[in-house]
Amino acid sequence: MNKKLQRKIMPYIWLLPSIALMAIFVIFPIMIVFKLSVSEVSKAGIVGGFVGLKNFKDAIALPAFKTVMLNTLYWVISVVGLSTVLGFIIAMVLNQKFHGRKIARAILVLPWATSLVIQASVWNYIIKYEYGNLNNILLNLGIIKEAINWRASYQIEFIWECGVGIFVTIPFVAFCVLSGLQSIDNSLYEAADIDGATFWDKLWRITVPLVKPSLTVSTVLNIIYVFNSFPIIYTMTKGAPSNKTDTLVTYLYMLNFYDRQKGPATALSVIGFLVLCLCAGIYMVGVMRKEEDL
Amino acid sequence: MKKILALVLALMMSLTCVAFAEGGEDITLDVIICQYGPNTSDWFLGTGMNGTNFVDKFESENPGIKLNLEVVSWNDVYSVVDTRIASGQAPDILNIDVFANYANEGLLEPVSQWCPEDLFADFFPSFIDQSVIDGTVWAVPDLASARALYYNVDMFEEMGIEPPTTWGELEDVAQTILDFYEGEVYPWGIDMTTDEGQAAFAYYTWGNGGGFVDAEGNWVVNSPENVEAIEYAIGLVNDGFTNPNPATQTRYDLQDMFGAGKLAMCIAPNSMPSYCAQKGYEVNMATANIPANEGKSASSVGVMDRVMAFKDESAPDQAARDAAIGAFAKFFYDPENYVGWVSMEDFLPAVNSAVEALVASDPSFEAWLGVLDGCQFYPTAMAEWDSVKQGVIAAEQAALTGSDVQTELDALQATLEEMVAARS
Repeated sequence: MNKKLQRKIMPYIWLLPSIALMAIFVIFPIMIVFKLSVSEVSKAGIVGGFVGLKNFKDAIALPAFKTVMLNTLYWVISVVGLSTVLGFIIAMVLNQKFHGRKIARAILVLPWATSLVIQASVWNYIIKYEYGNLNNILLNLGIIKEAINWRASYQIEFIWECGVGIFVTIPFVAFCVLSGLQSIDNSLYEAADIDGATFWDKLWRITVPLVKPSLTVSTVLNIIYVFNSFPIIYTMTKGAPSNKTDTLVTYLYMLNFYDRQKGPATALSVIGFLVLCLCAGIYMVGVMRKEEDL
Repeated sequence: MKKILALVLALMMSLTCVAFAEGGEDITLDVIICQYGPNTSDWFLGTGMNGTNFVDKFESENPGIKLNLEVVSWNDVYSVVDTRIASGQAPDILNIDVFANYANEGLLEPVSQWCPEDLFADFFPSFIDQSVIDGTVWAVPDLASARALYYNVDMFEEMGIEPPTTWGELEDVAQTILDFYEGEVYPWGIDMTTDEGQAAFAYYTWGNGGGFVDAEGNWVVNSPENVEAIEYAIGLVNDGFTNPNPATQTRYDLQDMFGAGKLAMCIAPNSMPSYCAQKGYEVNMATANIPANEGKSASSVGVMDRVMAFKDESAPDQAARDAAIGAFAKFFYDPENYVGWVSMEDFLPAVNSAVEALVASDPSFEAWLGVLDGCQFYPTAMAEWDSVKQGVIAAEQAALTGSDVQTELDALQATLEEMVAARS
């Protein structure tokens, strides 16, 4: 065999197993969903003929569509935004030298390492009106006189869900930022100190620009994870009352398996996929431009 | 040489995902059973059947038939079954609650094809009637449960009052409980969750002479009786007579509150006493009729699940396959096996032959069998039932957040009429 040719082909053969796995478990299902979204799908799941964009039209005409899309937007922006800010602050704190820093870092991982269903169930118990831990603690401390209904309206329930989302997302951001912070050369700060820079000067002119690449990665990955996050909302409210706390992913699941509107449900999942592709695309373009700059 | 070997290995790695099925002479039936409680898996697959299990016992008594039996949780069963149907791998035998979609799409084998006649005659006729579409029986009931009002006897004795029988009395009793316990106890439990909000719809509309369908079997979800009934139920919530979050507090939350003495009255299935016993609640409870509106009769709510057989065009010997499914049914409903199954998870039987043995072991069963006789069931034989179920839940939940009941139910009725028109 020609040695040169061999060298050229070899890498692809080594890549073949992972490419095959990707094709079978990622690309193939995506193609099936695309095909389903333009096919008639019966209530029992039997796939019929081509119906064009009917499923998409039906999906957009669903009464809950607007609420669900808006909820998804609020959910992604609040969870990704606030967890990024809070994660950044925590990373700054953890980057300082103090006693027990290792333990603090280990504790930070816990919310991230615990299964989301368990997290959401635990929070359900914490904020329970009747015998929730939060009410019990506040009552025993004498801070409140009688139990508070922490889930008094669906708006408040949705805020709780966002809160749990933020809580479990912070560790990921914090560790991404922390790795960025550790790579910053301390001499930069020393030089800034000599020039008389304040804390804010150093933050905005040294820390933020140098941590930016890690922040971009964590933000884009978070948008994808949070957008697709199912367990928190499904465990805490199942979208109740009447889809007012649903996001796209929980809604399309209910639509598919409870309501059995399988056509519109697949259309919605294609819409979600395209939105995420757009986000990832913007990210890729950004990264490539940066690589060209270097 | 090494490189060629590596190449072959790499190719083999890529091919490991492909599996080959083995052929055999026995008939193998794929069976999906729903997980009714903590004992279901053990009974079918573990050691819960006097040291053995359903599958082993069946296979030893029926040589030539193998069971590939799976116990699936109620949460997952719809997605599991739908996915299997979509990929052409429908089970041979399925235990689930709904059947109309499968029947309407021609996926099911009529019961007469596989059910032995003596077994078929053993089912309660009123149950079989619930699984008929256009004169054909598509499924048989596997078990049933009936709902009744449970109340905390100690509380009612302490206050010196009787459980309510009408809606008016219910409001008076609720007010008494609120005053007596100074708001520490919820008088009345309502579950309008995605889990079982359709049951709430049934409790109130049936108690007001309304319901999902009229006498001719047409959808009438927005009838004046229904609107009045749901407005009444929402009124109970708004007056503070109920648990605070009916849209997210499921029946199990209510049963827990009832067990913990936080809730005075709760509509629950006949398994309530053993549910409380299993959870360690010591509550003195009794049952009463579900209250109805003045001048309307109370009706009990029955819930029934089913066993059905799917078609399998690829089976080489259809007659042998039908006989195998029949053998499964015969074995399942044999009182020797069936009585253990029904009483294990606290359900009510669907066949006459089991009644005697059940009443002998637990006399309280007799009263429930009477209740079951007069029960109303959900119209699960109608093709639009899934949409109705989700629709009434959504309407209730919207009403909880302040929407107008009439508007919500009108919108649902309009959607249903469109669906019916599209079907015919």
